[in-house]
Amino acid sequence: MAAVDLHHGAATDVGHVREANEDAFLVAPDVFAVADGMGGHAGGEVASAYAVQELGRLTGRRLGSRAGVEAVLESLVRCQVRLRAYAEGQAGSGGPAPHSGTTAAVAMLVHDEDPRWLLANVGDSRIYRLTDAGLDQVSTDHSVVQELLDAGRITAEEAAEHPERHVITRALSAAEAPEPDFFSLPLAAAERLLLCTDGVSGMIDDATIEALLTRHEDPRDAAEQLVAAALAAGGRDNATAVVVDVVGLAKEHAYDAQQQKLSLETKLGALP
Amino acid sequence: MNDVKNRSSSTGTWLAVLGPELTVLLPGREKARAAALWATVDDGARFEVVLDQLLADGLQAVPDFVLVAAAGRSARVLVRGSAALSVRSEDGANEVVAGDRVWTERTFSGVESLVATLPDAGERGLPAPVGPGLLRVGSLVWGADDVAADVAADSAADVAADSTADSAADAAAGEAAVPVSEPEPEPEPEPVVEPEPEPEPEPVVEPDPEPEPFDDHEPTLDPTLDGPAQPDPERAGPDLPTPHQPAPDQPASAGAPGAPGVAGVVPTPVPGMPTVPPLPTVPPVSVPRVGDQAPPTGAQPAVGRGPEHDGLTQLGQPVEQPPSGIPGQPQAPKVTARPVARLVFSHGTTTDVDRAVLIGRAPEARRFAPGDQPQLVTVPSPHQEVSSTHLEIRPGSGVDHGTAVATDLGSTNGTLLVQPGLPPEDLQPGIAVQLIPGAIIDLGDGVTIQVTQP
Repeated sequence: MAAVDLHHGAATDVGHVREANEDAFLVAPDVFAVADGMGGHAGGEVASAYAVQELGRLTGRRLGSRAGVEAVLESLVRCQVRLRAYAEGQAGSGGPAPHSGTTAAVAMLVHDEDPRWLLANVGDSRIYRLTDAGLDQVSTDHSVVQELLDAGRITAEEAAEHPERHVITRALSAAEAPEPDFFSLPLAAAERLLLCTDGVSGMIDDATIEALLTRHEDPRDAAEQLVAAALAAGGRDNATAVVVDVVGLAKEHAYDAQQQKLSLETKLGALP
Repeated sequence: MNDVKNRSSSTGTWLAVLGPELTVLLPGREKARAAALWATVDDGARFEVVLDQLLADGLQAVPDFVLVAAAGRSARVLVRGSAALSVRSEDGANEVVAGDRVWTERTFSGVESLVATLPDAGERGLPAPVGPGLLRVGSLVWGADDVAADVAADSAADVAADSTADSAADAAAGEAAVPVSEPEPEPEPEPVVEPEPEPEPEPVVEPDPEPEPFDDHEPTLDPTLDGPAQPDPERAGPDLPTPHQPAPDQPASAGAPGAPGVAGVVPTPVPGMPTVPPLPTVPPVSVPRVGDQAPPTGAQPAVGRGPEHDGLTQLGQPVEQPPSGIPGQPQAPKVTARPVARLVFSHGTTTDVDRAVLIGRAPEARRFAPGDQPQLVTVPSPHQEVSSTHLEIRPGSGVDHGTAVATDLGSTNGTLLVQPGLPPEDLQPGIAVQLIPGAIIDLGDGVTIQVTQP
């Protein structure tokens, strides 16, 4: 299989309310990530920076799925170890303990028989894919609201206004070993990926995200427009979007093309 | 008074690196790693330093270990792999296991005892007290004297099934019935420090200086275990923004040495509990206590793991609910030690079922943990009769234990199952069906799977 091209675009903005941008992103083909830091006094910026720095070390390693899972996990553990050292330093300097932590949403190209997307998330930063069938949220938020939704205790409408909608149940922090969820998708099932922080997905709804991703063919435009829309909707939090397109796949993916041809010929009566 | 840094061990094959307050347990094969750690641990290195060294060769190099920092009535524990720790603390009995996680780390206060359960340790003999050193162990108990007292006081019935109590009962029996035997001589020719034969007894009347309960999720480091933390510029990274100094309006929190706690905690006698005299056979090991001068204090901000000061996202507690996985999806699969079945595909590949196997035209794996990554099998389907993620076959649980079970994942065209001696059946989406060796599964488009013995 020929190498696929990954086209990407990324945008981030501090928003209208916050004073600092604690989001961070990574575009280092073939690894992409967003991280939403939290914790006062620069702790959030430090945490999200650690996360993308560690994940950035995965670039260019051409791992298989299984090694990829271990490698992502190791990156997150290294991030945790650094956060621990940072927390230690803060405690030693007599300041208040920084409750630093960060979310992470990661997409890495892995190479089994065919290249695949290995995706991982911790917290409420999201991974979406856009396919012919529309927008699909791949990741599951590690958030109180998501757990209440899963338990059937609130509706989606209630979730959008729930007072605890910013409370996440997993994060990369000094305190606990990272517990990412992983996802493995064939490239053909995710020709456009969106990684975003809740400053995007919390400000604009999925229909708007889908419309913007569909309208803007260039991933750079798509990312910028998503962040712009989040700002226009209020910009209450740092907003970050990374859009990645898999280019050159259809030519290689024989059976889809062949299937289309077959069905066309069948429709035209050329085949029984 | 009991102190959980007092340890007892039975003999066995695991390696115990016993520092003043820190303990590392490693499987018997990890001789080189244990020897390398010994110097660090014996110097009284902090938890993080020891963890860093343990992981120096990467996470995958050390699939199993236990790291415990225990002093006074506090313990910080980290378990990776197959070992388990039973902890009795003011929160009651807790089992610390890693399961599918990278590891599990917990902090406990009001600790009465910890018991490490080590798989394949070839445990022999009764636990006997041990001091700092490097030795082979089959089990390890912290705070054994108190456990012994507890066991003596408790009725045996309500704790009989508990491994903590079991080991503790052993300890009690050993201490009551026979003179304590020395631990078997260390079989390693490694540099070994023998346990001190007659350590000075710790003054029993000394109040425990570490009464402050720790929050499990407190992200700061425990000064009683680690000593005053110092900033480490190298590890913090020079390229990072310098954190701001605390604003005056921030609530004072950890790190400020303060008043509460120094008075100590005197264990409250349980009403009705007979007074058990201290067991004389377990002299506490006298070692400098790093944290004595720095009792933890500090009311941490109350919400979750700490409130977010200047942003929206914050970390909280999971919603209480049964661990049911994702609605509409099968439970997270476990990986079995041996495959329960072999799948022979019509397109020529063969796959053993020791974990979930997801089969389809372009299979997707959704929301898996690092330890249970499913096997993905792509089958050719020129007419796209096979759905992208069509069928799951995984090791069965419960009544299906030891066999493979197949579940149609809501495929478009369904799945036909033909089992020996049974009429063909269409799998109901989402309903797992046990597979008998010799079964044939038809996914459509000429794709069949033959189920055989592994």
